[in-house]
Amino acid sequence: MEFPDIIKYAVPAFLILVIAEIIAARVMKRGRYDARDSAASLAMGFGSELAPLLGGGAILAAVFAAAYEFRLMTIPNAWWAVVLCFVLDDLRYYWWHRISHERRWFWASHVVHHSSQHYNLTTALRQTWTGQVIGTILFRTPLIFLGFHPAMVFFVGAINLLYQFWIHTELINRMGPFEWIMNTPSHHRVHHATNPKYLDANYAGTLIIWDRLFGTFIEEDAREKPRYGIVKNLGTFNPLVISFHEWIGIAKDLFKSRSLKEVLGYTFGPPGWSPDGSRLTSKMIKERWARVHGEERPDAASAATEPAPQPAE
Amino acid sequence: MTSSLVIESLISIAAIGLMVGLAWFVFKTPSPAVTEQNARERLAFDEPDFEPVSWLIDRQGRAALAEGSNGDLALVSRLGLDLVTRRYPASALKAAERDGVLTVAPQDPGARAVRLAADEAAQWARKLDPSVAS
Repeated sequence: MEFPDIIKYAVPAFLILVIAEIIAARVMKRGRYDARDSAASLAMGFGSELAPLLGGGAILAAVFAAAYEFRLMTIPNAWWAVVLCFVLDDLRYYWWHRISHERRWFWASHVVHHSSQHYNLTTALRQTWTGQVIGTILFRTPLIFLGFHPAMVFFVGAINLLYQFWIHTELINRMGPFEWIMNTPSHHRVHHATNPKYLDANYAGTLIIWDRLFGTFIEEDAREKPRYGIVKNLGTFNPLVISFHEWIGIAKDLFKSRSLKEVLGYTFGPPGWSPDGSRLTSKMIKERWARVHGEERPDAASAATEPAPQPAE
Repeated sequence: MTSSLVIESLISIAAIGLMVGLAWFVFKTPSPAVTEQNARERLAFDEPDFEPVSWLIDRQGRAALAEGSNGDLALVSRLGLDLVTRRYPASALKAAERDGVLTVAPQDPGARAVRLAADEAAQWARKLDPSVAS
């Protein structure tokens, strides 16, 4: 069974759909576009395709080849294996994505994708230039150890990525029963929102069932329009700043650290962690909102589980 | 670098140019001026426990600086069609005034220096750095 490079084949579709969305957004008077923001997003997407050529791609190939040598079993390249691999990879994506929001080391890469205050198809292409190596090795190698061929693992990962492209839009409203199982524009708008009510939610790639299962699902509320971005939005469209600002923040914090606890906290703690509590994690942001507005905690429905911190900066 | 990679890259760059050009042509929305009203609204969302008591608004609408009831400062600047806020303890924000323009240069990564031209610029410079007054 051959596994084609479907991302490569999809690029013309990206172009056509972005053009269609721009025109439709104007005609329907829904959704927003800012050419400078789109330029930044597309520059990030372009760079993310080139970044693996600097060595990361070769490292990944070597690690996966080695992992496959030591696989527990050999899973055949059959259609049912592709389906199984897709579902397991989607679960892998959920946890990788969730940890990318909960731990600053991973957030430093993933913040790029959330750094636009717009939500349109170009936002989908705003991808990181860093962090693909460690995250991919940590979270995808288990599937290869299990016995799935690396080419199959990359193939299903590409399907997942492609699926997520079209959900970055404000033009599609609610989708009925489809939303019970699948990730949709509505679900993913919640994920990109900075409204305290919406923080820490909807980490799914393709199947929203993981969020429902692990208690991180929040439904879009028609009364509360999502405001996109990060809780401390960037003041520039410069791709270099977009790419590296959080890494610089970590470096600065490490430089002034006074103990191992601070080193670990600044690096692997939740985004917004600080030894004196002077910065805000997402949990603190939710609590502040509730305190100021005199409401129940926005995540009260899922308060039984510890809320996953959302980036505070 | 292979020639196919170069060709693919050039095609990608052309496609990016097309998409950005179309977005610019279809949505020629100018950046909104920062006013007390929209700065206040944005701060109420980003920093709900910040209560502004005095404002310095750039006369060209590039940015606004607010002093909160607890002495904190909040900087509101524009980025494209949107506003960006930062909140600082009073002692953490350094600024310099020259010819009626207050330049504030936050140190946190991702923020950028902003300039506020206003009649009260010198007064705010003294407020931010009392040593200037002497």
